[in-house]
Amino acid sequence: MSDAIIELSGVVKIFRDFWLRPTVKAVDGLDLEVRRGEVFGLLGPNGSGKSTTIKMILGLLAPTAGSVKMFGKSPKSKESRSRLGYLPELSYLHPFLTARETLRYYAGLCSLDRKTAGERASQLLEMVGLSGVADRRVGGFSKGMSRRVALASALVGKPELLVLDEPTSGLDPISTREVKLLVKALAAKGMTVLVTSHLLADAEDICDRIMILNHGKSVAGGRISELGSSLEEFFLAKVGSGDDFALADFLA
Amino acid sequence: MISLWRIFWLESVSLLRSKTVAVLLAASAAWMFAFPHFAAGDGTAEGAREMYLHYSLGGVFAILLVSLLASATGAIASERAAKRLQLTVVRPVSLFAVAWGKAAAHVAVGALTLAFAAVVALAHLGAGGKCSHVLKPVMESEREEAARMYDAYMADPETPEAVKQAKKSVVLRLLAQRAGDHYQTIAAGSSAHWRFDGADGVSNASVRLRFSTMFDSRQDVAGEFTFGGAKGIVSNQTQAVIEVPLKGAAGGGVLEFSNLGANALMLRPRKDIGVMVPADGFPANLLRSYLTMVSILALAVSFGIFLGAALSRPVAIFTAMTVLALGEMSPGVVDQYPDQLETDRRDRIGLAITRFTERMTRPVSSASPLERLSRDECVEWGSLLKVAVCDLVLLPAILAALSALAVSRRDY
Repeated sequence: MSDAIIELSGVVKIFRDFWLRPTVKAVDGLDLEVRRGEVFGLLGPNGSGKSTTIKMILGLLAPTAGSVKMFGKSPKSKESRSRLGYLPELSYLHPFLTARETLRYYAGLCSLDRKTAGERASQLLEMVGLSGVADRRVGGFSKGMSRRVALASALVGKPELLVLDEPTSGLDPISTREVKLLVKALAAKGMTVLVTSHLLADAEDICDRIMILNHGKSVAGGRISELGSSLEEFFLAKVGSGDDFALADFLA
Repeated sequence: MISLWRIFWLESVSLLRSKTVAVLLAASAAWMFAFPHFAAGDGTAEGAREMYLHYSLGGVFAILLVSLLASATGAIASERAAKRLQLTVVRPVSLFAVAWGKAAAHVAVGALTLAFAAVVALAHLGAGGKCSHVLKPVMESEREEAARMYDAYMADPETPEAVKQAKKSVVLRLLAQRAGDHYQTIAAGSSAHWRFDGADGVSNASVRLRFSTMFDSRQDVAGEFTFGGAKGIVSNQTQAVIEVPLKGAAGGGVLEFSNLGANALMLRPRKDIGVMVPADGFPANLLRSYLTMVSILALAVSFGIFLGAALSRPVAIFTAMTVLALGEMSPGVVDQYPDQLETDRRDRIGLAITRFTERMTRPVSSASPLERLSRDECVEWGSLLKVAVCDLVLLPAILAALSALAVSRRDY
């Protein structure tokens, strides 16, 4: 049996306008494999195709060419989705629900019965440190608190694969450290994690393996332990130093 | 099943906490309580009752139809625009359940508000009051009459050549449309008769009818009805809706009217005459009328959900309101528009669109629960069942499946 949880083969994504004319080639012939139990980092500058790749893996976008498989099946299949947890780049919570109701709602969508959903919600709220505000509406939460609720709702169905899009975005340093510890703990329990991040230090701390995307193509990848330099140096060597931005010229 | 319930719950909570339900209940209460104070009837208690039932409940129904249709367009479209829908879509949940659950929550809100209005109406009018089955004369169908008239029309040498050249289906449609308005004349001193099925042995039956004359002005009507052993005397004016109680047990199946007045009288048998057979009371009829209206709301809501799934919210609202307006106007346009104008290309296109809309919205527009309720005519269980199966189950299920397809084909 293959050990690959996610398999992308020759994946291309071309966005088109209303008249179906191609506008952007966001992903260009990408091959990717995420293995069971590893923490895989998808890195790259803005517009490199990370989010598009994640959305194709989740079945939220259809690839123009190539194949995407999750657990050996289509990402749109119920079986694949029942083993998945997803934290989007922004939390996108229902503002009129309380934190507890939010978790119970998503637990219900994962077919957990009422009692189990309630217990699971309480456990997760405890885990993300929101037990004290469990019955407050999330519309009034800070960005960091919303992020924790979103992370808890990604975990509510006890997924085998966790997809985290910029998980530390909007979190203070303490919360960031907690999220990183949580990811490590989940990985230690055998959960597979796919994570995207702009913060190379975060990726370096938690990832076993990375892939760097630029202009929709894979430009480098490998095990963190085998890079031979810091991730930041490796990244700048492969992607460039961002000279296009000409910040120094502007400031001068 | 759990996920369907969860979607329903989420949408209901959203409608409750966004104060949509409160606003709908407040608007309905304001209309139900305010209407009797400014409504001027025809001066009779029956007229006031008819007006109250038709316009108070009708007003609440109209408020619900427009607001729930508009709200339903946002159930999926707004979630998608706010990117919340993707968090539902990546769960192991059927998209059919998503559409169905959201529609069910909107229907529940509509049913609740309408129930409130119905209870207010019941409290205002009291539980007394009757309702009757309406028997129509046994006649050939409008299509059969059209086919018979077509043959005679084409054989007539005076029929214009343009009509003879016209497509048979067009002429048949126009003739069928006119068959409902086919007048029967009863000369002074003569009699006419119509056959009715299903009234044998019924006591306390009555005849409801409306006579016309060849002129618009009102003229005296005098005559006598016999229906088996039952008899009734008519004394009124043309243009008025007359209800003639038949004394004795009805039977024989043939209703005969003798015109004892000095004027020739006319009526459209398909529209102007019916035998009223007592059925159950007003509360039961109100309940059937209520269930019919809830079914119609369910269809409108499902349509709104589908539009929201396939289009963006602003486009979905615009489309929904356009279809609603066209659906409201189309029966009148199809009925009234003079057919000779069809020779103009623009009119032909307009009429084709209107006829198409009328055909598509017929499941909604053909059920007229308030009209029947306000005239004390029974909303039949059979008719309710037909509307419920069509508007509450079948069409919403098809629309939910189409909504699911639209959601699955979308990029997020």
